[in-house]
Amino acid sequence: MLEYAWLIPVFPFAAFILIALLPKRTLWWEDGAVYAIGGALGAMCLSFLVVWDVVMGDTLIDGSQRFEWLVVGDFSVTFGIWIDQLSAVMLVVVSVVGTLVVFYSGGYMHGEGETRRRYYAEIMLFISVMYGLVIADNYLLMFIFWELVGLCSYLLIGFWYERPSAASAAKRAFIVTRVGDIMFMAGIIILFKYVGSLDFADLFSGAGVAAVPSDMMILATALIFGGAIGKSAQFPLHEWLPDAMEGPTTVSALIHAATMVKAGVYLTARSYPLLVQAPESLLFVAAIGGITALVAATAALAQNDIKRVLAYSTISQLGYMTLGLGAGGYLVIHADSAAGYSAATFHLMNHAFFKALLFLCAGSVIHAVGTNDMRQMGGLGKVMKITSLTMLIGSLAIAGMPPLSGFWSKDEVLAAVWHAGEFDPAFMMLWVMGIATAFLTAFYMFRMWFMTFAGEPRSDYHAHESPRIMTVPLMILAGLAVVSGFALFIGDGFKAFMEGSIDGLLAGAGHESVFDVAVEIFTDPLTYLTLALAIVGIVLAWRMYYVPGFDRSVFAKGFNGKLQRALENRWYISKFYDDFAIKVVYAASLVADAFDRHVIDGIVNGFAYLGGNMGQVLRRLQNGNVQRYTGLIVVGICLLLILVLYVLPWGGW
Amino acid sequence: MLEGIPILSLVILVPLIGAFVTLGLGRYGKQARVVALAFSALAFVLSLLMTYEFVTDPTSEATGYHNGYQFYEEYAWSDSLGVSYIVGIDGISLPLFVLTTLLCMLAILFSWDTEKRQKEYFGLMLILEVGVLGVFVSLDYFMFYVFWEVVLIPMYFMIGIWGGPKKDYAAIKFFIYTHVASLALLVAIMAMYFEAGLQTFSMEAIAAESVGFAKGVQVAIFAAMFFGFGVKLPMVPFHTWLPDAHVEAPTAGSVLLAGLLLKMGGYGIIRVAIPSLPEGASELSILMAVIGVVSIVYGAMLCLAQKDLKKMVAYSSISHMGFVLLGFATLSQVGIVAGVFMMFAHGLVTAVLFMMCGVMQHKCGTRLIPMLGGLSKRMPIAATLMTAGFLASLGLPGLVSFAAEFMVFYATFVKWSLWVLVPVVAVVVTAAYYLWALQRSMFGPMTDRIDTSHLKDMDWFEYVPVAALMALIAVFGVFPGLIFSRIDSAVEIVMRLFGGG
Repeated sequence: MLEYAWLIPVFPFAAFILIALLPKRTLWWEDGAVYAIGGALGAMCLSFLVVWDVVMGDTLIDGSQRFEWLVVGDFSVTFGIWIDQLSAVMLVVVSVVGTLVVFYSGGYMHGEGETRRRYYAEIMLFISVMYGLVIADNYLLMFIFWELVGLCSYLLIGFWYERPSAASAAKRAFIVTRVGDIMFMAGIIILFKYVGSLDFADLFSGAGVAAVPSDMMILATALIFGGAIGKSAQFPLHEWLPDAMEGPTTVSALIHAATMVKAGVYLTARSYPLLVQAPESLLFVAAIGGITALVAATAALAQNDIKRVLAYSTISQLGYMTLGLGAGGYLVIHADSAAGYSAATFHLMNHAFFKALLFLCAGSVIHAVGTNDMRQMGGLGKVMKITSLTMLIGSLAIAGMPPLSGFWSKDEVLAAVWHAGEFDPAFMMLWVMGIATAFLTAFYMFRMWFMTFAGEPRSDYHAHESPRIMTVPLMILAGLAVVSGFALFIGDGFKAFMEGSIDGLLAGAGHESVFDVAVEIFTDPLTYLTLALAIVGIVLAWRMYYVPGFDRSVFAKGFNGKLQRALENRWYISKFYDDFAIKVVYAASLVADAFDRHVIDGIVNGFAYLGGNMGQVLRRLQNGNVQRYTGLIVVGICLLLILVLYVLPWGGW
Repeated sequence: MLEGIPILSLVILVPLIGAFVTLGLGRYGKQARVVALAFSALAFVLSLLMTYEFVTDPTSEATGYHNGYQFYEEYAWSDSLGVSYIVGIDGISLPLFVLTTLLCMLAILFSWDTEKRQKEYFGLMLILEVGVLGVFVSLDYFMFYVFWEVVLIPMYFMIGIWGGPKKDYAAIKFFIYTHVASLALLVAIMAMYFEAGLQTFSMEAIAAESVGFAKGVQVAIFAAMFFGFGVKLPMVPFHTWLPDAHVEAPTAGSVLLAGLLLKMGGYGIIRVAIPSLPEGASELSILMAVIGVVSIVYGAMLCLAQKDLKKMVAYSSISHMGFVLLGFATLSQVGIVAGVFMMFAHGLVTAVLFMMCGVMQHKCGTRLIPMLGGLSKRMPIAATLMTAGFLASLGLPGLVSFAAEFMVFYATFVKWSLWVLVPVVAVVVTAAYYLWALQRSMFGPMTDRIDTSHLKDMDWFEYVPVAALMALIAVFGVFPGLIFSRIDSAVEIVMRLFGGG
């Protein structure tokens, strides 16, 4: 089955072509949703067959049929597919979330009229290139899909292009992620020079790794991770993601929570064979992850837009994943353990399900109330039973309450970071940041839940539960958010499964049994510490936002209100970029433009003037002033001497 | 199929006959566009036939293979001076040659509603086509220079007669500026002719001799040629004729100017200067690279400041042609092939961009970005094509420019290591100016600064050429190997001069 995996992206791509080009009356239901559902389902079925093969122990990591893209001299680029356990996890995520989102769109986008055609076409293109990214076996091919994913994100964020804020957010997202993209590109160019190939099979082999000098390996891996910083919205390039919430909520769920932003984490995980050669880069990865997790979690505390809260929580959770990957690299190097690697990918999968769930719930709420502002909501639990319940499940999952999925993977990530602290004390600090984030996460998620669903309505809305086509995907995702964590204990366990994709890096130590994994979790006091912090966070949110009469201004007044304002303004990072773009880059371009018109072109026009008025000029020179004549003669002689003595001999005369 | 047929001369001859017919239409002047389109289409079809033959058997003696050139023709003209008519085509000139016949045809179609002095307008375009085609296949310096100069004249008139408000200034500036450059080129050619002392202007014969010139001589001649070709490219700081010429030129003029005339500069460097004077090229490669990088970065910064859509696109040409120069400057096979491919890619993409600027001028009466806004709602086709064109120009993978840019960066890194990061940063600026322009002109709320009550989407003669070009941009973006393999084998011959590159 694996050799047919290249067909997976073909299904949604075909749907994209059909929706884009078919005459309007043949688009049927919801302006093309039928084709979209067909494309998504086809790709999902094929993905499941492929994933089943991988679970059965089969992989396709070399010898796949290759397509020759370019050959120039000894520079040759060929493309193929690469299916291993890591790709399989991503295939599950993209196919499940993608398909459910397409179904859900049938209800959510109902009122959009003819623009739905554009919507479904772009969604299909997005799903197609995302699959392409996941199964690529070559960094350049991956980069191509990587950029196309960015394009789709641009188009979908700007879906409501007539809103100035949407048009601006789309542009911002593209440009900011492009900063990461050029780092990614620079990184693969470095690898290309030394290894002469960008195929994973060549790069990850012993010979490939050995061909890169160690300082260049550090640089190349750090730059490739730079791509992940952009795409996975890591600090300091994370501010585009909250802005990206200008797109339809379905897009936020699909692209900005469950799939595209995972591409950066996927890239980092994919590059493990290179990263473990450069521990400096691993520490950089982990530090960025830890900082991102904490910074984003704090910014989430003061947001009133329900989607922005979720956006910051996404950034924060992505930070966990990168932190886990960074720490995991140390565990691979020093302890021959894939614990961090599997924990991060496990969190990637679990997060995809509960975050897609949370976004689609938020979409259901917005669909019903007509605003994103949580200050206008309240009391929705009474009218939207399914939505409020499923969102509660999602919130519990992300807060890390057992036995929901978030509990297992977050605990695994933090355990891996703690464990890595044995090899580098920096990880201890990152671990502290990690558990602080766990506390904040629980708090802001329940702040959101209480503000939205509990209490009394704070505005005059006429909400109702969403239609079945929207609530069924919610229920399916809620089910997944409950059970996906148990993948840790199915068969040989998720850990053993993931070890398969990096077993070349491990000394082949026998893996733990599922029973050992469970014992480790429940006997570790740190598990209970994290859990306690999360519960405190929930209780605090309950006390502040549910129990009436709590004076929240106490917090707002702290630090003279500066802290509150800084949080509301998201640490002024966005403002910094705006200022940089306008006051530095744009200003520089204006200076360049003036320079070009007045100085460079001025000289040109000056010459023209001189040519046209040579007589006038010469007359003015011959004014009978002997001193000036003498001066000119001296200058002339000097120039001649220079010409004869230096310029001509150098020229060979 | 083409055995014994002088196909290259035929392709050059067709637009020449077409030009005379068009100019001589007399009172049937209204039909000039049809006649011109027919002749340019015939030239295009012939060039496709030729391409087919070239691709199926590039070294077939029967169709005139000679020393790396296919469809080779040689006729002595003046024995005493050593002037001959020599034409031939290889993998470097082939993409540019076909690009020429294609763009001329599409530019004529795009000018379908020209009303002012139609005979002259379409006739001059065909003459221009003759000149450009001649430059791309001439293998004799004398003929090369003649064709080179032939190109200047119709472009001068196109700007001067059909141009915008400042057309006189722009036309004379274009003419004098590029003519000064031509003189430097002429001096260089003469120097090569006399220094070789072979009594022939044949490029091949002179090149065989000139590679052995003393280093100083090579450097001096190379410098003169580099200036001559570089002004055309254009390279910073000799670029200021370009924005003026573009802003004033009619749309079809801009398409041909940016799509073809700029390529003549790059083509000259790779066809003549580098292979004939390898030591001079090596000596000045750093200078070429610095100018290339400055053009890339400085050009991109200038784009960011522009308010006129067309001026922005014009400046973007400077930035993108900087990639060509940078690729050549590496003097490596990958870099040179990438540079040639970049020329081809830029020809396709920039034609789309200038056509879209023409559409804006045509439909909205202005190209000033602050006057536009929200046009997407009323002009969905235009908005889609403009977005696609901008994305192609900013180097989106899957579209044609990406492969070229990536390989130029690769070649630069191989040669100059981390200096490559300087031009790489410009890629972000490029994305910024294009997307910002899109945001302000196409998206957001509908503008109220122009009268939009009668705003219509593109006409058929506008979107057919643009859509055709976009299709090619996508095809060659997904399968760049189709062209790379041709260029590669030709560049390999050049690279032997540098010890195999």
